[in-house]
Amino acid sequence: MTEEVTDQSAPEEGLDVSRDSPLNGPGVAPDPAWFEQAADEPPYARHVLTTPLHLEAADESRTNSWAEWAGYTVAQVYTSIEQEYDALRTRAGLSDISPLTKIRLSGREVVTCLDRLLTRPVGDLESNQSVRAVLCDGHGHVITEGVLFRLGDEEFRLVLRSSHMDWLMQSALGFDVQLEDVSGTIAGLSLAGPMSDNVLALAGLEKPATLAKHHGAWVELGGMPVYLSRTGMMGGREYELWCDPADASIVWRRLLNVGQAVGLRPIGAAVRDIARLENGVALEDVDYQSAFTARDPSEALSPYDLCLGGCVDLDRTVFNGQSALRKIAASGSTNALVGFELDLADAAGVGPICNGDKQAGRITSHAWSPMLQCTIALGLVEASALGASDGFSIKTHAGENIPAKLTKRPFLGSS
Amino acid sequence: MSDDALQYDAIVIGAGHNGLVAAGYLAKAGKSVVVLDGAKAVGGAAQTAEISPDYQVSTAAHLISGFPRQVEKDLKLSKHGLVWATNDMVTVALDRDGKHIVLSSDRKSEVATIKAHASQDGDAWKAFEARTAKYVKLLKPFLEKRMPDVSEDGATKAAAMLALRLEKMGPLDLRAFLQLVPSSVAALLDRSLEGDLIKGALSLEATLGAAAGPHTPGTAFSYVYKKTQEAIGQGMGYPVGGTGSLTEALASAAEALGARIRLESPVREILVEEGRTTGVRLADGTVFEAPIVLSSVDPKTTCLDLVGARHFETPMVNHVSRIKMRGATAKINLALEGLPTFENFSDREYGGRLLIAPDMGTVERSFTAAKRGELTLEPVMEAVIPSYHDPRLAPMGHHVMSIIVPNVPFDVEGGWDVQKEPFVKRVIDTISDYAPDLSDKIIAGEVLTPPELEERFGWGNRGWHQGNMSFDQLLAFRPVPGMANYEAGVRGLYLCGVGTHPGGGLTGLPGKLSAEAALAAEKVS
Repeated sequence: MTEEVTDQSAPEEGLDVSRDSPLNGPGVAPDPAWFEQAADEPPYARHVLTTPLHLEAADESRTNSWAEWAGYTVAQVYTSIEQEYDALRTRAGLSDISPLTKIRLSGREVVTCLDRLLTRPVGDLESNQSVRAVLCDGHGHVITEGVLFRLGDEEFRLVLRSSHMDWLMQSALGFDVQLEDVSGTIAGLSLAGPMSDNVLALAGLEKPATLAKHHGAWVELGGMPVYLSRTGMMGGREYELWCDPADASIVWRRLLNVGQAVGLRPIGAAVRDIARLENGVALEDVDYQSAFTARDPSEALSPYDLCLGGCVDLDRTVFNGQSALRKIAASGSTNALVGFELDLADAAGVGPICNGDKQAGRITSHAWSPMLQCTIALGLVEASALGASDGFSIKTHAGENIPAKLTKRPFLGSS
Repeated sequence: MSDDALQYDAIVIGAGHNGLVAAGYLAKAGKSVVVLDGAKAVGGAAQTAEISPDYQVSTAAHLISGFPRQVEKDLKLSKHGLVWATNDMVTVALDRDGKHIVLSSDRKSEVATIKAHASQDGDAWKAFEARTAKYVKLLKPFLEKRMPDVSEDGATKAAAMLALRLEKMGPLDLRAFLQLVPSSVAALLDRSLEGDLIKGALSLEATLGAAAGPHTPGTAFSYVYKKTQEAIGQGMGYPVGGTGSLTEALASAAEALGARIRLESPVREILVEEGRTTGVRLADGTVFEAPIVLSSVDPKTTCLDLVGARHFETPMVNHVSRIKMRGATAKINLALEGLPTFENFSDREYGGRLLIAPDMGTVERSFTAAKRGELTLEPVMEAVIPSYHDPRLAPMGHHVMSIIVPNVPFDVEGGWDVQKEPFVKRVIDTISDYAPDLSDKIIAGEVLTPPELEERFGWGNRGWHQGNMSFDQLLAFRPVPGMANYEAGVRGLYLCGVGTHPGGGLTGLPGKLSAEAALAAEKVS
């Protein structure tokens, strides 16, 4: 009874207080709707998300230029592309990669489950080793690709650019395996550039230089546990640091503070994109359509089309896409995602790739590479055109034919 | 082949009619075959057993309408004891006032009984039958052979096959057929006929055994499909000794051809190595080896439980795990000390298939009640008095009655322990509306509720067709796209149960076609 009484009186008192509020002026009753609780919002309804490093990034930003990445807001440019690029390729750059999807797979049959899920077997992977993971659908088309870390005998972490959780759940049916999207519990930082070892050393880590490529280890950074791995997609010396979201901004701040001495700078998504292109990495939804989002079956591509044939091991027990990939491997792929160097300052809005007079494909992403002093691009072309004697060219909007030089990926030699 | 051999050319899982037919054909082709079954007797759902001493009845399936003459001849079943008690049964739609509709090969009397309910139905029925016959003619060739696989290049082939036959029908029939495919049987019947009783009976035929009511989309096609299956068979009937005699003859024929049947040997696992089947492991650990394994277990259980999802690519696991298998049924078998008296019944009617479905509304209500987990107030049913044509099933002058009650919930409100008695009473009372002296003549009975059918035959809550017989799960889509050619995605493993094309009923065709697929594939490799 007493509770009811207080319940009734409480809003009235509240009204009295707000009536005197300077905002409303005397005697103006506030709209009761102001005090109503907002309707509960389901998590998937939210499209503007911030990473655990958002406040740090906002603090560093001098341009207020932001980019969207899987619903998260990340810095596009902190100061200027030139400065950031220069830092990344000559000293070191720090960036926020928290929007990546991280999925924890564990259980007694996690290895057999992954063997069926991915185009290559993972049983030989050592603890703390990582490998490029390609997921195909039943037609042998690439759904997505990412990096798979083995964290223990029966524990793996799959890092992808987009979730595809439904496919993973379906693929886990019939296996003794647990799947968990742990994206929200792990923040990611990328440290890249020739001086990144020095930055880590200044931060108190002596060992990282001995960490082999694609390997990882738990380290302590300023008293905080951080999983440090020699992975990344920008090429050169690079590390990724995975830590608790609560620790992320402290790790970020500490690295920036100690790294100042060697010229460490935060780098934004724009420079990351140039760097990944220099490294020849193709991205889902940019360079190729995921098998699930392709509007037309012909838009979906096999690993062979993407020149990821090295990630496919056909001769083993059944895996997703195996029977289709066997056929594709036998008949040869129809497309090829290849690298081009263009004699052009800005490739924005260029037309199709031509082979002789024939249209042979299109540019999927391009950027000016300051290191190479030319425009580099990834292009999806018909495989049959690769063997042709005619060179490739690109039609600009001005109607000019610009020669396109077929170039090996990665564009920048990895160090 | 000695009795304790563990290596064979082929293993057949399940000694039901399809498993035995498959074993017969494989043995006939010179293969050494073993049939493994967990039960104590052969037969699967086609078994004859005693209700009480001296009263025998087909425990589950009680009618055979689609068993082709060819299979009988190929396996020399008459030499192995198969004698038809009847294969010319009429279908009687029971009427409370004794104006029963009798569907038979005698067209004139058939039309007369239909006309008695609605005068305009005489001509309408003839037109309806003529059109149904056209559809049956269209579909029949597809049911007698293997379907092309629709997964890849087979899709265009299948489409072309159908398109050619559809084109031949002419524009009017084609339009009617295209309209029929997605229709409910209620829509089809309302378009064609007037009488409530005939519509009730036909809608019961179309939906029997499926989780569907007359208003469920797709049931019109189910009706046509059922009629096509009947057209392949030799008429509706049963052998002397009940449906169990069919499987016993099949077993004897298979054994005569050299196959071995090992009972009480439940298969626990189908062994797969490097994408190829190598044999099976029994629940007791015994391993049988063979490069070819045929499973008459339903496709879902075969693929996901016996083989394991890990041996299939994810899309196939998705397809298989989503096979619709629903529809609970109850079976009541009665021992009677004399024939129940039905008004206006003659010899022909007593020996017929009796349908109780006074109108489509009653059938629909029974389905709706089952969906809610309740028992309907007016059960619909299919009943047969097998001892009428096969007097040896019961002592002189006595009879047995076999009743299938569809649309019964698996989990009934209040539990079957409580509901079993009122349920049986309701069924008996319903029949008593037509044969008032029935309850006085019952001397023993056997009631198999859905949970009991589950325990004995494994299909309690999943329908008896190993996958509903709706258009999306028939022909080249049966059991799932990509497996229509009986190959179960693992080399050497074939599906041969009613879950495969051409589907449910005691037809033996899945077994025959599957064995042929296995033999053909072996020839190629």
